[in-house]
Amino acid sequence: MKFFLEVWRQKNAKVQGGLVRYEVVGITPEMSILETLDVLNEQLLEKNEEPIAFDSDCREGICGMCSLVINGYPHGPEKASTSCELRMRHFKDGQTIIIEPFRAKAFPVLRDLVVDRSAFDRVMAAGGFISVNTGNAPDANSILISKKTADKAMDAAACIGCGACVAACPNAAAMLFVAAKISHLALMPQGASERDERVLNMRAQMDKEGFGHCANEYACEAACPKEIKVSHIAKLNREFLRAVFCSDK
Amino acid sequence: MDFLSRFYSSSIGRKFFVAGAGLSLCGFLILHLSGNLLIFKGPGAFNHFAKTLDSNPLILPAELILAGFFLLHIVIALIVRYHNYQARPIGYARYSVKGGRTWGSRTMTATALIVLAFLVIHLKDFRFGNRSEGVYQLVVSCLKNLYYAVFYILAMLSLSLHLSHGFQSAFQTFGLNHPKYTPAIKALGYLFALVIGLGFASIPLWIMMGWIK
Repeated sequence: MKFFLEVWRQKNAKVQGGLVRYEVVGITPEMSILETLDVLNEQLLEKNEEPIAFDSDCREGICGMCSLVINGYPHGPEKASTSCELRMRHFKDGQTIIIEPFRAKAFPVLRDLVVDRSAFDRVMAAGGFISVNTGNAPDANSILISKKTADKAMDAAACIGCGACVAACPNAAAMLFVAAKISHLALMPQGASERDERVLNMRAQMDKEGFGHCANEYACEAACPKEIKVSHIAKLNREFLRAVFCSDK
Repeated sequence: MDFLSRFYSSSIGRKFFVAGAGLSLCGFLILHLSGNLLIFKGPGAFNHFAKTLDSNPLILPAELILAGFFLLHIVIALIVRYHNYQARPIGYARYSVKGGRTWGSRTMTATALIVLAFLVIHLKDFRFGNRSEGVYQLVVSCLKNLYYAVFYILAMLSLSLHLSHGFQSAFQTFGLNHPKYTPAIKALGYLFALVIGLGFASIPLWIMMGWIK
């Protein structure tokens, strides 16, 4: 297969970038979009050109490292998929594919398609954890959790923190990410004791990073490779309301 | 009161005000439409209703509270819009969504601005217009103008589109989202948008058709 890739090229965070058109040949349908970029980079290296910088790690859809906005869709047009899982069979031979970095003030472009997502790390450091003494694993049945609650928490915990929700949001809001973490931890008895300061601190850090406001458009839910539901955002709103009006914080 | 200022200055808190004021304005729309529909009963009923309202001593405080809701809704929504604009300084060459967004949600700012422009003209002509011959006569004489009537109808369709997203969105902001009732809220939101839009638009339509003289 042959493709025309229009890729965002930008030397560093300080200079302006732009889309550059490349032709890439020798692609097979089972290759992922990342592997297509690998092939293109080989071709660029042979021509003594600078290869395209992009993020990837596990390449099996679980680490949340790959980003890319492909033809306007974070992680590409397929549902419940990360960029690394996006196979070239979903595109037509000879098609032009536009590849851009995630766009948000809180996710500055470092180089080409690589963005700095450490804003998420700082939001997590503000409260996305539980304070317990680790040691031997406790007895599994010492704290009883209903199956339904466990399932709900697990659905939220599926978030891999890739940032596609921010990239897809018309307002570059990080609500789905923060909601997934808040909901996951607040549903568990181990996390419930710190729920008030958690939601206050994570919300404060989220705003400080410069993410936008949620407009309940749910583009995030549709873009999420792990299909996190926006009902978690409603839970985040409830948790926040509870912390502001019903707690001593 | 420290917690309140912190609440207001947060991205989530601000939206509570927009949603709360928005839903309150929805209540006002029901009252306003109920009154308006009296026009179909004829000049007597409509003018009598208007006079009864005007002579009520509570109308001034009620109007002030209403103006407060409008201001709260508009000003905070503009602040939210400004922050959202700032959150993505460089846009996409191509931007698409896999789902979620609706015509209503995409056009919230545009429909808001149309309704705001309508509100200003509407207040000038009807609330502060010359009511000496009766409100019925004032409404009919204004809406006999074809351009006025078309603008009126377009503004009401914009309002309808605005409500189709705004109504259900407010419940999500309040943290109310559950498979038990969210489908019902969505359906109710669309029904409300339809009834309000068609209800208000029916009056200029009837006048255009010459069915109300």
